[in-house]
Amino acid sequence: MDFSFPVQFFVVIAFAALATFFVIAMSIGLVIHKAVGIARSSRGGRITRYYSAIFADLLLRDLPPLPAGSKTSAIFDQYESSIEPIKGELEKLSARKQRLHYEAIHDVLTDYAKDLTGETSQRLIYIFYSFGYVERALEQMESKQWWVRAQAARDLGLLKARKGIVKLTAALEDEHLDVRNQAMQSLMVLVGVDALRTILRLSKNLSQWSEIELSVIIMEFKESAVPFLVEALSSPDQSVVLFSIEMLAQIGFVSAVEPLMKIVQEYPNSYVEAKAAEALGRLGDGRSESTLLALAESRIPHVRTKALEALGRIGSGAAVPLLEQRLRRGERGERVVAARALAGCGKLGVERLNLLSAESDESTRAVAQEALEEAGLEMEVR
Amino acid sequence: MLVYLETVLYGYAVFVITYFICLNLAYTLFLVLSFREIVIYLRHNSFSNYRLMVQSELTPPVSILAPAYNEEATVSESVKSLLKMNYGKYEVVVINDGSKDNTLERLVNEFGMYRSKATYHPLIAAKPVRGLYRSKKPEYKNLVVVDKENGGKADALNVGINVARYAYVCCIDADSVLEDDALQKVVKPFLEDRTMVAVGGIVRIANGCEVVNGRVVKVGLSTQLLPVFQVVEYFRAFLSGRMFWHGHNGLLIISGAFGLFKRSAVVEVGGYKHDTVGEDLELVVRLHRLKREKNEPYRIAFVPDPVCWTEAPDTLSVLSRQRNRWHRGLLDTLLIHRDMILNPRYGVIGLGAMPYFALFELLGPLVEFSGYAVLLLLIVVGGLDLNLLLLFFIVGMFYGVMYSVGAVLLEEMSFQRYPNPGDLALLIAVGVLENFGYRQLTMWWRVRAFWDYFRGKKSWGSMQRKGFATAKK
Repeated sequence: MDFSFPVQFFVVIAFAALATFFVIAMSIGLVIHKAVGIARSSRGGRITRYYSAIFADLLLRDLPPLPAGSKTSAIFDQYESSIEPIKGELEKLSARKQRLHYEAIHDVLTDYAKDLTGETSQRLIYIFYSFGYVERALEQMESKQWWVRAQAARDLGLLKARKGIVKLTAALEDEHLDVRNQAMQSLMVLVGVDALRTILRLSKNLSQWSEIELSVIIMEFKESAVPFLVEALSSPDQSVVLFSIEMLAQIGFVSAVEPLMKIVQEYPNSYVEAKAAEALGRLGDGRSESTLLALAESRIPHVRTKALEALGRIGSGAAVPLLEQRLRRGERGERVVAARALAGCGKLGVERLNLLSAESDESTRAVAQEALEEAGLEMEVR
Repeated sequence: MLVYLETVLYGYAVFVITYFICLNLAYTLFLVLSFREIVIYLRHNSFSNYRLMVQSELTPPVSILAPAYNEEATVSESVKSLLKMNYGKYEVVVINDGSKDNTLERLVNEFGMYRSKATYHPLIAAKPVRGLYRSKKPEYKNLVVVDKENGGKADALNVGINVARYAYVCCIDADSVLEDDALQKVVKPFLEDRTMVAVGGIVRIANGCEVVNGRVVKVGLSTQLLPVFQVVEYFRAFLSGRMFWHGHNGLLIISGAFGLFKRSAVVEVGGYKHDTVGEDLELVVRLHRLKREKNEPYRIAFVPDPVCWTEAPDTLSVLSRQRNRWHRGLLDTLLIHRDMILNPRYGVIGLGAMPYFALFELLGPLVEFSGYAVLLLLIVVGGLDLNLLLLFFIVGMFYGVMYSVGAVLLEEMSFQRYPNPGDLALLIAVGVLENFGYRQLTMWWRVRAFWDYFRGKKSWGSMQRKGFATAKK
């Protein structure tokens, strides 16, 4: 019998040829890629080291004093003349090498930019403009590719290019998360804490990742960020409100107590209420005691739980009877929270907890004992 | 009669060749689209500052669940390594699954554990817990040891999920070696997408690597051929297959060696199924099922970067048991959820991922095996041109080689974890070599899995591990 597959046969032959071609091309490609990678990294390292030394010298070198009566702009002429030899060398290179060197200089300078301040930093910023890095980043902010825009947004911060503030502000509403996040961080670098007002005003549906990135920067400013965070409590975007509450709690500045109490009383959303209750507990200010006691009567379980937790954190003596009542009755989660809160209510709370740990009711006893053990653990740890 | 037989065999051979063409087309598609997914991931990842994640109080805490059964020799080192992860707030929950050796005593003595008064309230049904242990030592404050009756890995993980305090649970094998920043990278997708319910991380082979104090300090390849075959296999499975399905929210497997789950989602589906040997696969399929049935938006993702190192079998007997078990797990899961296959209600899972797994991953070994048998029969009855048979084999080999080398290419273009050019050359060579014997061997083990499954075999089979101290050979 003849083995004849009219269609399959030709398909198989075609695939065989294609597969052979792919295998050969891929293997060669792999080896070349590895070899090129090693060579490039070695050459790149050499070039970077070369420019590191040159620019370190150039930035730290003392410039001759300007003649009396010279224009302010004369300093820029001095900066320009100091980098002219480097530019001259670059012009002699082929276009491909120029690109390579140009990128190496960019990396070296942005690395230096993180540590430099004062006149040296001014000198560096001038170099960024003079080499065209700032203009390039500004152009790239218009790119259709999100990763180019994100890189440009990052660069504008690294280059300390105040010229980029307008574009960075616009980028806060970019469709891509990475562009928005990079713009946010660069604006904080360029404008400082004042940028927070614009960032929080323009932000919508903050992702947890954006919140994390922003939170670390905000913690560098601490108290000076509080007015902007308080202002953001009236944002129409719930994610911004929740984030602001969290940051106010983390900063722990007492001026946040009143606005948070207002939020608890007025905000028409139970998640926000619960978050604000938690924040009040973390601030530990006695002024919020009555607000929290009222909140502990809420019909919504997670609001109640957060209020009980907060009462324990502020060590409210007035809350002890309520906490004891909640420990005896109610859903297990709430009982555990009430027991932990009692442990936080000073001597009175611990006394009650000790009594409850000897109760005849087994579940009450177990919850109280667990809370005591945890409190004991914490003391031991401290 | 002979003519009739020849016609049937001929017809079957046509089917096998058509099947083979479809399979290779699918593999080629995976390779190309996975490359695209990896590029997207790398671009996105280049803007991620993980340092901020460690600094921020907003980073969600994680419970790492490590089941342990008769691990007295390595448990202390493994736990110490887990306690040194570079992550904000987390706890390590070690579940002693009724070990017959001194695993519990070793943990109690090494970490100053005492029996806690805390009560255990199971959300998922599991074997009874004998005791919860916490440490008196401040440096081990985030360590919890649970002692329970033996019930298997799935049961131990269910107890871990019950005990976990945090919203995210990271399920690992007791002998998994996680990279310092693995948790950060696997948590990130949850922070970017609130609908995320599970994320799997890549698993790599540790044989040949240098492991010091529970950390891989130098990446290399084993001098034995068997683990190196598995390195290439893992590249194919993780960098090509899973990356493709990740891009289409059709991921069916999150490796039991390293996966992060939203605790509430796992509790909602009832935790791991303890009477299957493919509990990791089955859980993910059940998560898909529930979310699709409830019409809730969700994502299950794979991240190719956070690395979990694992010791691969280096003997044929252990490897055969492992592959047999994996295939039985796949068969079991597909049978349990057979109503999802080709069911439009389950979207890409019902119409894409599950049919692919059923048709190619599950039945592939059977078709390949029967294909060889039919071709031999055709030769015997004299109905086959040997030249054409040879051509068929050559094409098959080339496609196998192409897919393997393609997977090595994906690794080299993206993560480049093997810095030595000699390792790369070896991986390419192995990508070619594995098609001559190794692939057929794994096919045979998987064919036998059908036999074992229908005979009612449910056991895992023993998996002797030599430990990382001897991983470099």
